Amino acid sequence: MRPLAITGVGLVSPLGIGFSDFRDALNRYDVLGDKLFVRESGVLAPDKLPDPLAAEVSSFDPTPFLGSKGLRNHDRLTLFLLVAAKQALQDAGLKENGEHKVYSPSRIGLCSATAYGSLDAINELVTVAELEDPRFVNPNRFPNTVINSAAGYVSIWEDLRAPNVTVVDGNCGSLDVLLSAETHLSHGRADAFVVGGGEVLSDPLYLGFRKLGILAEGNRTFRPGTPEGHGMRIGEGAGYFCVEREEDAKKRDADRYGLVIGYGNAFEPPESDAVIVHASQKSIERAIQAALLDAGVSASTIDGVVGSLNGVPMFDRAELAALSALLGDGVPVIAPKSLYGETFGSGGALAMACALSWLSGKSVGPMVRGTMRDKPRTLLVVAVGFYGNVSATVITA
Amino acid sequence: MTRVFVTGMGVVSSLGLGREAFWKGIVEGRSGFSSIEGFDTATLGRSIAGEVKGFHARDFLTHTERKRMGRCSAFSLAAARMAVEDAGIKPEHLAGDRTSVIIGTTMGEADVIAELEDAWIRRGADAVNIARIPLYGSTLLPIHLARAFGARGLVQTLPAACAAGNYAIAFAADLIRAGRADVVITGASELLQKHQFQGFVRLGAVAPERCQPFDKNRKGIIIGEGSGVLVLESEAHAVRRGATALAEIGGSGLACDAHHITRPHPEGEGSLTAMREAIARSGITPDQVDFINAHGTGTHANDKIEAYVVKELFGDRQIPVSSLKSMIGHCMGAASALEAVACVMTVQTGVYPPTMSYETPDPECALNVVSNTAVTGKADVVLNNSLAFGGYDAVVAFAKPGVLPPPPAASAAA
Repeated sequence: MRPLAITGVGLVSPLGIGFSDFRDALNRYDVLGDKLFVRESGVLAPDKLPDPLAAEVSSFDPTPFLGSKGLRNHDRLTLFLLVAAKQALQDAGLKENGEHKVYSPSRIGLCSATAYGSLDAINELVTVAELEDPRFVNPNRFPNTVINSAAGYVSIWEDLRAPNVTVVDGNCGSLDVLLSAETHLSHGRADAFVVGGGEVLSDPLYLGFRKLGILAEGNRTFRPGTPEGHGMRIGEGAGYFCVEREEDAKKRDADRYGLVIGYGNAFEPPESDAVIVHASQKSIERAIQAALLDAGVSASTIDGVVGSLNGVPMFDRAELAALSALLGDGVPVIAPKSLYGETFGSGGALAMACALSWLSGKSVGPMVRGTMRDKPRTLLVVAVGFYGNVSATVITA
Repeated sequence: MTRVFVTGMGVVSSLGLGREAFWKGIVEGRSGFSSIEGFDTATLGRSIAGEVKGFHARDFLTHTERKRMGRCSAFSLAAARMAVEDAGIKPEHLAGDRTSVIIGTTMGEADVIAELEDAWIRRGADAVNIARIPLYGSTLLPIHLARAFGARGLVQTLPAACAAGNYAIAFAADLIRAGRADVVITGASELLQKHQFQGFVRLGAVAPERCQPFDKNRKGIIIGEGSGVLVLESEAHAVRRGATALAEIGGSGLACDAHHITRPHPEGEGSLTAMREAIARSGITPDQVDFINAHGTGTHANDKIEAYVVKELFGDRQIPVSSLKSMIGHCMGAASALEAVACVMTVQTGVYPPTMSYETPDPECALNVVSNTAVTGKADVVLNNSLAFGGYDAVVAFAKPGVLPPPPAASAAA
């Protein structure tokens, strides 16, 4: 791929709002442990759900970033994305005091991922329509049930008029957006993209995974990527990055957090035709190999891996086996989801943020294997979906 | 960059199954509208839709496939099987990592989540059927297709609302041009679902009985459902296997209004950009476009703005324009995919489909509307317009193979 320079970061996560808070929290990962998973949720309804436990963005207040006007009908995902986008654009210097400074609005696009983006809005709509009356459905909130609604609002708030793309690819979407952006940039459809993704906690999301039986027991320590892994915990968050062509970023002398040099994806079906959710070591290996090939680097150049490890044994085993087969066991692998859980459509974006932090030498998060290297230059980020879909990226400093 | 061809198409629609039945209904100006049978509309004041009534999943899907997917996925898999058969493409040409699946939608498996939600809010968590939970998630739409055809490349859903079909087709073509795939199975799927219908009624967007695009007395949309799926191939791949190219995918234009979540930009800024880009990226000028398959929803705002944009771009030239939504309704995410199928058929046959129920010209929509009867004409290049929720604008050009100049190199495409 043509390298993409990451010139701005915006984050809303259980680790904090903004990249600085995120990195500081990563620095304290050993102290944090699994303390970010709470039962006293401000989002989930304990009276409706069995044993709710999740990592949430506590006391989230968008008003310092967005002001207080025009927020009433936005759902939580939209607010997350609006805050992350504003941070990323300002951080990149593409906007200043709300004004575009580098590119015209028609040359900046958005590629935004989510997996279950409108679930809480759908829940709200169905509850009103079924328990009250369809005529009471709030027309101002109905748009939130449409999956691309949140990304549409970002374009409106930030005046981004180049292609606006919402991507759904389960846990892989917020790495796939890098391919979308690179494709659109290569075809000259824009000069910069805001890329990333978001996911929010909601009662139906939690209930669905709880009933499927893949959530970790709340009274046991949560250790993704280790033999003690016994299930997943879930979280929420949003991460956006401003990406530009490498030469464009250089030309304007922009500071860059990293360079995306390779992307790969793969899909493998399950052995049984009846199965939907499954783990595929082969698919993970293929996606990583494709990313390395795309980057034009060999496996030996990878200094570390930000894993997708979420605590579900079959997925963690497949991922670690794939990493062993391709990179050996000495390469350090971190499992940041042990801090904030599986965040689905934003998982890749938060993992990218961990990788950028690692490249800056600031913090790495919980390591599950390997030996840490000084001054890592090239990192691999992996996102493993629930259906045999996998994406991977290679980034350098 | 390589040329990209459409080599097969499949359709699930309220006018019939398969591209021939669909096209026959379109050319005859038949209505796909009927009273909704899928859910109760008694209190809503609206009861008509373009509901697909002749579809039986068992005719296209195995028992196991039917158990593991909802109606939206079933639509797209059925349409995809028709498209693959239409393309005459052998399984060995589809199997492997050079085949991708890109599918658009607005709400995906909306019936599955409604069923789960309904059980939960009425009867509690224990009543939620565990076996149905994994069926939810728009991620699954392309996954089901990839599994059916042995595709091992990128699987991705593009939920671009009413422009989803065009978004998927445009990105699929770009992937092939970028050398990241040889074949992409692409298109979009959408189903008519109770809560979605209720929401659009509450928005005041739904017409009582008819959809009348560009008519002075138009009263809004009629909601439809269905799926349109196309097989796209690189020129080299199509030539290698001796495929018949139905049409070439020309340039595409993607833009965002960044104005309002449901209303188009008052001067159609994004729509104009998207149309201009689709034409420029095809390597042609507006005078070489023969026909426009309009978004034409039948709402006051859309049709007025779309007409304004067409006039801006084509000036005094009375380019023929038509909207299928007068017959099949607004199929949301699937709309521009079904309309893409019709565009290819127009390129194939030289027939411009009619806009039905067009009775009273609107001075605000002073277009050359193909009214109530199909007509024939030159169809070397046609445009497929879409203006969507979220301010998404997407336009794709379809052309007779060999008409367009060779596409430029990627680096020169800007």
